[in-house]
Amino acid sequence: MKETPLSNCERRFLLRAIEEKKRLDGRQTYDYRNIKISFGTDYGCCTVELGKTRVLGQVSCELVSPKLNRATEGILFFNLELSQMAAPAFEPGRQSDLLVKLNRLLERCLRNSKCIDTESLCVVAGEKVWQIRVDLHLLNHDGNIIDAASIAAIVALCHFRRPDVSVQGDEVTLYTLEERDPVPLSIHHMPICVSFAFFQQGTYLLVDPNEREERVMDGLLVIAMNKHREICTIQSSGGIMLLKDQVLRCSKIAGVKVAEITELIQKALANDQKVRKEGGKFGFAESIANQRITAFRMEKAPIDTSDVEEKAEEIISEAEPPSEVVSKPVLWTPGTAQIGEGIENSWGDLEDSEKEDEDEGGSDEAIILDSIKMDTGEVSNIGSQDAPIVLSDSEEEEMIILEPDKNPKKIRTQTISATQVKAPSKKPVKKRKKKRAAN
Amino acid sequence: MAMEMRLPVARKPLSESLGRETKKHLVVPGDTITTDTGFMRGHGTYMGEEKLIASVAGSVERVNKLVCVKALKTRYNGEVGDIVVGRITEVQQKRWKVETNSRLDSVLLLSSMNLPGGELRRRSAEDELAMRGFLQEGDLISAEVQAVFSDGAVSLHTRSLKYGKLGQGVLVRVSPSLVKRQKTHFHDLPCGASVILGNNGFVWIYPTPEHKEEDAGGFIANLEPVSLADREVISRLRNCIVSLATQRMMLYDTSILYCYEASLPHQIKDILKPEIMEEIVMETRQRLLEQEG
Repeated sequence: MKETPLSNCERRFLLRAIEEKKRLDGRQTYDYRNIKISFGTDYGCCTVELGKTRVLGQVSCELVSPKLNRATEGILFFNLELSQMAAPAFEPGRQSDLLVKLNRLLERCLRNSKCIDTESLCVVAGEKVWQIRVDLHLLNHDGNIIDAASIAAIVALCHFRRPDVSVQGDEVTLYTLEERDPVPLSIHHMPICVSFAFFQQGTYLLVDPNEREERVMDGLLVIAMNKHREICTIQSSGGIMLLKDQVLRCSKIAGVKVAEITELIQKALANDQKVRKEGGKFGFAESIANQRITAFRMEKAPIDTSDVEEKAEEIISEAEPPSEVVSKPVLWTPGTAQIGEGIENSWGDLEDSEKEDEDEGGSDEAIILDSIKMDTGEVSNIGSQDAPIVLSDSEEEEMIILEPDKNPKKIRTQTISATQVKAPSKKPVKKRKKKRAAN
Repeated sequence: MAMEMRLPVARKPLSESLGRETKKHLVVPGDTITTDTGFMRGHGTYMGEEKLIASVAGSVERVNKLVCVKALKTRYNGEVGDIVVGRITEVQQKRWKVETNSRLDSVLLLSSMNLPGGELRRRSAEDELAMRGFLQEGDLISAEVQAVFSDGAVSLHTRSLKYGKLGQGVLVRVSPSLVKRQKTHFHDLPCGASVILGNNGFVWIYPTPEHKEEDAGGFIANLEPVSLADREVISRLRNCIVSLATQRMMLYDTSILYCYEASLPHQIKDILKPEIMEEIVMETRQRLLEQEG
């Protein structure tokens, strides 16, 4: 499917926001999105999530005969695929331009920078070498595919273990995984791509553009660097004119970012290593958190009940004895009297009770809590409060007047919400009416 | 800034609360509609093994001997005479490509476009070079379907003064199956705004122009600032249309108007909350049922 075009309003909004140094997701100009790295059960399998952009990387190896002009070097093969589930615009025949560009960039970044020692991949010179194949699949496109792909590639390569092989004279023995532990690849350094998006002919720049920002950008600058501040690849696309100091500034920023990302990668690799060694559970099934939505269920919070008895005894000993409740019958009319506390007869005022019924739902839980407070004589306070504040008809937000030690009293507006704050206001209103009637 | 927080609640479908007299016959692709061979096949069906099988997911409609399946969620399929609202995606030689939420981009030929001033003449090379001056990429237009090509692509025309480039307003995108087919799709609602219900699911809400511009022919975009009252009406209408679409109600001028009136007691931003949406749509449904029966 062709992707839906961005409307003029959206485009203008994004550009204006960028001019005011604001980004739609609240990031700063040089901020990266959250990077999450998780590993699969096999060695060499990993998923990188850069915000919502997800790339799956898998490394595999095979023994092949080497290239004729490079008889002592192993072969590296990189392949990035834009899966159809990444974006509706990606179709089997339709993605050629972007795909070629990304693949070329990835190859230059990883192959030409000689981050992997290909000489170590040689088994028998001229006859057998390891071919390392890195397959990257884009699972979700939310901008900045190249950064996520480069991180996934290097993480997968670092994580990968190839079967051990030994050469004795003419005999080559390939050990299986059970016979001997697999051996990691020898990696010199970790090149990571950092993307800079330019807007308004190079006036504004953003690091790690997301999908919307990519649609309105003028040009893109990609710098691949390692943590030793060596630039592996630099590419500028979009045809914008960049000044020398802009490029230098970007490279400095890239240096900082790459150091952070490299640290994150090391930590993730170390973590996974530890879990595997300790025999814990690893793999994608463990790393993907269970996302659940529960409706109207409070999470059980553990409470320390070890000293509940002492606390209870303390409270009992310190509290005053309960006041004597003398039931006084209240004579309404000859023949009708009321003894004790009951709900006031509200047949007269229908409108108010309907409104209260709507809000009753959320207040049921809170009434139990409040009844304790209510009965200890706070009624006099409420009786002195004035008539309810008049509703304002304007479309402003609700006003909540919070009094520090008393219950928050809320102005009744037409909205229905099940917040706990609203609940306590029920009781004072009812009590007040009753007091008026009784007096 | 006040924040509104709510706990997640399992929502029950609205159709349960309002019973329907005749249940719709819903099918999925591959379902048998009928084994009776006396029926003619309409859209969305095919004949297989002596029985009529549905090829899309939707409801079965039967008119005398014609059986067709109307899909619930689909891209817009053009019919001659439909009004559509579309966005220009490309400017090509002698034509514009318009995005209308269909499988292929629609085509608006230069010869199907009114020249400013309503002149009638053959389009010359200068007109071709000035195409971008009329309509650029990103502009919204209202047009009518002139013809449908064999591959399903739609050819549009704006050969009347009521069609043309759209000025200031709000676009709401809904599913094409929710827009009811009526005699006219341009409505001036009494609440103070006008609405164009495109058959392709694009609904355009705009402030009612004070006086009809006869000579402009929809070229001059009115860029005067819209008053706050008008903007409030338009926002409210937009939220009403979105809530009707969420509850899968047919969109036409009466239903939109009833929904607007039912929403007046609430604040504009509250209309999109699930409980209030249900309440408003239920009231609209009841009024519509009363009006019919």
